[in-house]
Amino acid sequence: MHRTLIRLTAITVAAAVLFACAPAAAQDDDVEREGYFEVRSASTELIDGVHHLDARLQLILSNEALDALTSGVPLTIEVQVQIVRVRRFYLDSQDAGLDKRFELEYRPLSQRYIVRNLNSGEQDSFATLYSALNNLGRIDSVPLIDDSLLAEGKRYRIRLRALLQTEQYAAPLRLLFFWRSQWQLKSEWLEWALER
Amino acid sequence: MGARTLKRTFYTLFAATGVGLALIALFLLSQTAQNSDEFNRLHNALLVINIAGVMILFVLLLGNIGRMIREYRTHVPGSKLKARIVMMFVGLAVLPLIVVFYFSMQFINRGIDTWFNVEVEDGLTNALDLTDAVLDIRQREHLIATQQIARRLSMVNDQQLFLELSRLRRESGAGELTLFGDSNRIIATSSDRSAGTLPRALTDEVILQLQQNRPFVSLDPLEDGGYEIRTATVVAARGSANPRGILLAHFPVTERLGRMANSVETSNTEYQRLKFLRGPLKSTFTLTLTVVLMLSLLTAVYGAFILSRRLVAPIQDLVAGTRAVAKGDFDTRLPQPTKDEIGFLVSSFNDMTQRLASARREASLSQALVEAERTNLEVILARLSTGVVALDSDLRIRTANQASGAILNVDLENRVGDLLTDVAVNEPLLDQFVDVAQVHLAAGETEWREQIVLRGEVGRRVLTCACTTLPGDEDRPAGYVVVFDDITALLQAQRDAAWGEVARRLAHEIKNPLTPIQLSAERLRRKYLDKMDEEQAQVLDRATHTIVQQVESMKEMVNAFSDYARAPDIEIGRFSIEKLVHEVVDLYRAQESQVRIALHIDPTMPEIEADVGRIRQILHNLIRNAIEALENTTDGEVDLSVTAGEFEGVDVIHIRVEDNGPGFDKGSIAQVFDPYVTSKPKGTGLGLAIVKKLVEEHVGTIRADNRREGGAVISIRLPVDEAAREAMIARAPGRAEQRRERA
Repeated sequence: MHRTLIRLTAITVAAAVLFACAPAAAQDDDVEREGYFEVRSASTELIDGVHHLDARLQLILSNEALDALTSGVPLTIEVQVQIVRVRRFYLDSQDAGLDKRFELEYRPLSQRYIVRNLNSGEQDSFATLYSALNNLGRIDSVPLIDDSLLAEGKRYRIRLRALLQTEQYAAPLRLLFFWRSQWQLKSEWLEWALER
Repeated sequence: MGARTLKRTFYTLFAATGVGLALIALFLLSQTAQNSDEFNRLHNALLVINIAGVMILFVLLLGNIGRMIREYRTHVPGSKLKARIVMMFVGLAVLPLIVVFYFSMQFINRGIDTWFNVEVEDGLTNALDLTDAVLDIRQREHLIATQQIARRLSMVNDQQLFLELSRLRRESGAGELTLFGDSNRIIATSSDRSAGTLPRALTDEVILQLQQNRPFVSLDPLEDGGYEIRTATVVAARGSANPRGILLAHFPVTERLGRMANSVETSNTEYQRLKFLRGPLKSTFTLTLTVVLMLSLLTAVYGAFILSRRLVAPIQDLVAGTRAVAKGDFDTRLPQPTKDEIGFLVSSFNDMTQRLASARREASLSQALVEAERTNLEVILARLSTGVVALDSDLRIRTANQASGAILNVDLENRVGDLLTDVAVNEPLLDQFVDVAQVHLAAGETEWREQIVLRGEVGRRVLTCACTTLPGDEDRPAGYVVVFDDITALLQAQRDAAWGEVARRLAHEIKNPLTPIQLSAERLRRKYLDKMDEEQAQVLDRATHTIVQQVESMKEMVNAFSDYARAPDIEIGRFSIEKLVHEVVDLYRAQESQVRIALHIDPTMPEIEADVGRIRQILHNLIRNAIEALENTTDGEVDLSVTAGEFEGVDVIHIRVEDNGPGFDKGSIAQVFDPYVTSKPKGTGLGLAIVKKLVEEHVGTIRADNRREGGAVISIRLPVDEAAREAMIARAPGRAEQRRERA
C-alpha cells in the first residue's frame, strides 16, 4: 500500500510538471498564436529644451486577446516610459515616468477598430487591426520631460516597454487571465542613455 | 496543564480560527457577489483567504490522517473505533456535499447557458445587419454626393473655391468639407463647427485607398456615441492631367439613427462580450463553488476527526487505565470526561482502582506482618537445637531448620521443594527417618510420637520424634510438621552418669570387704600353712595365693572403676602439647616392647589451654590401648600424630592414634566408648570410656574407626584455647549440656 501511494504521488507530480510546462512548450511552438509585444526601436531628441520620444513597437495580439477584441471586449495597451537617474554607489532612482494608455476596441457596426488615447480622450478609427496596431506602435515626437527638470551633471537612462493591461476587468476575469499566458503580453524593457 | 494539553488547545484554536475565517470569507463572498464593485474589490482577497483556509484544513487533516494510520498500525487502543467513526462521518458528509456540488454546477452552467440562445443572437445579428444596411445606403448616398461636389469643384477657380465649397456643404448637408492639395496642404475648407477649429487631417488609410483609384467611405463612431460618415474622393483639375486635390467630407448621421444604431451595436457587443465571457464566468463560479465544497468537505472531515477523538478519548483512557491496573498500578485515576454513561463508567473505574489500591495496601501490610512473623519464626527455628521439618501432604519439604539438617546429616534447608524420599536417597540417617515416618503416615496416624534409633557410619543416633498434621481439606491434610531431638548425647550422658554411679558404688561396696578378705587369706596362710602336711599345705598355699591374687585383681578393677567415677575439677592451664606428647611417648619407648611407636608432631604447634593431667591420661590410655591391641601382632606399630587445624571454623588440635592391629569389631564399633566394653582379655573396658569422658570434658570430639588397611584409629579434636572451646559450645549446645551433666 505504501508503494502504491508513492507511485500515485510520483505520477501526480509528473502530471503537474507536464501540465505546468505545457503552456511554455506551446508558446515555443506557436509564437503567433500566443502573440507578443516588442519594442523595436526608441530614441529621444532634445527639441527646445524638451526631450521628445520616438519609438516603434511591434504589437501582435494573441488569439485569445483577438477573440476577446472581436467579441466586443476592449483591450488596454499601456506604454510605460521611465526616466531613471543612474547612481554610482546605490540603486538607480526612478525620477519620472510616463504611462500612455490606449484602448483598442472593435465596433461591429462600422467594422472598424477604435484606438482611444485614455490619457487625452482622443480616438481614431481604423479599417484593419493591422493599421490600428501599427498606429498604436508608432510613437512620434511625444514630449517626455523638460530638460530643466533633470539634475545637472547627472546621468539618466530611459527605459520603455509595452504591455497588455488587464486591471480594468472584473476580479474573476483578472484571476483567470492571471493564469493564462495569452493574456500575459508584455515586452522586455528597452533601455538607453538619455542624451542631453 | 501539560504540554500535551497546550498543544491540543493550540491546534483547536488554530483550526477554529481557520474555519471561522473561511466561513466569514465565504459569507462575504456570497454578499459581495450582489455588489459588483465590492465583489471586484474583495473577490481575490476572499478567494485567497478561502484557499488558505482550505490549505490549513488540508494540512491539519493530513496530520490527523497520518496519526490515525500510525495508531491503527501500532494497534493503539481505540484506533479502530476512531477510524470507523471517521469513515462513517466522512461518508455521511461527503456524499450529500458531492451531490449538492454536482447539482449546483449543473444549475449554474445551465443557468448561464440559458442567457444565450440562437433566437436572441439571430435577432441581434439581424438588427445589426439591418442597421448596417441602412447606414450603408447613407454612405453610398454621401459618397455620390461627395463625388458630385468634387466634379463641381473641379470646375471652379481658386477665387470661388471657398464660397462654392461652403455652398455645396450646406446643400449636401455635410458637416465638414476640406480640399487637400499637394502634401496634404489644405486648399479650402468649410465646416459647421465653431470657428477656429482645425479641419481634420487626411489619414494614411484615405490616401492609400485613393491612390488605388478607389473612393473612400467609412462609418466612424464618435466619442459622444454618435456616428459620422467620412468620404473622400479625388478632385480633378480643369485642363490638367494631375488632380487638383483630395476632397474629404464628414457627414453626420442623424441623431435618431445614430442613437438606434448605437443601441443595436451596444446590445450586440454586450451579447458577444457575455458570450465570450461565458467560459471564464463558468470557471469562476466553478472555482468558487469548488473552494466552498472543499472548505465544507474538509471542515466536515476535520470535525469528524475531532468528534471521533472526543468520543474515543475516554475509552482510550479506560483501556490505558485497565492496562495500568493489570500491570499493578492501582493508583491510576482517569479524568472525569462528562456526566454521561462513559462518565459513569470512568467514575466506576476510579472507584474500583481506589478500592484495589486500598486492598493492596492492606494486603501488603498483612504480608509484611506475616513476613515479620515468619522471620521471627525462622530465627527461632534456626536457634532451636530441635529439628523441625514442615512437609506437604506429598512429603515435599516446605521448610526445614538448620538443626534438622545437622541431626539427620543432610542439608535440608537447601532442598526445600524436593520430595523427602528423593532427598533421602544415599542419606542413610534420613532414609531410616523417612521409613519410620512413612509407616506412621501410611497407617493414617495424624499425631504420633516415637523414639527412633538411626544407625549410621559414625554410630547410632537416638531421636525423639513427634509429628502433627497441618489442617487442610476434609479428605487430605495440608501437610505435616515433624519435630525431633537428638537425644543420643543425653542418653549417653545419662548412661555415663549411671556407669559412674555404678563404678562409685562398686568401688565403695566392693573395695571395703576386699582388704579383710585379703588379710584373712594371708592370716590363714600364715597360721595354718606350717601346721598342715605338705599336700594340704600346697592346697592352702594355692588357695590363699589365688584369693590374694584375685583380690589384688579386684582391687585394680575397683580402682579403675573409682578412677572412672572420679570427676575432680578441671584445671585449665597453658602448656606445650608437643612436649607432653614426647614425655608420654618416651615412657613407652623406654619399655621393652615389640611395638614401634611413630610420632608425628607439627613443629609449629602452638601451646594449648587444657587440663594437662587429663590430656596426659588421654595419651596414656590411647597408647596403652593401642599397644595392648598389638600384643598378638608381630611388627606392631602405633602411629601417633598431633596436628593443628580448623574444624568448623574453630581452631583445634587433632590427635590421631593408629595401630595395625586387628581393629574394632564391626558390630560393636558404636559401643567402643561405653564402659566395660572391650575385646581384650585383660581389659577392664574403661580405657576408651575414660578417654571419651575426658575429651568431652574439654568440649572435644572423639571418633573410633577401622583403617582400610587394617587396624584401629582413634581421632580426637580438642579446642586449642578457651575461646575455641566457647565457640565449640555455641555450635553444639548439646555438648554444653553434656559437659554440665558430667560436671
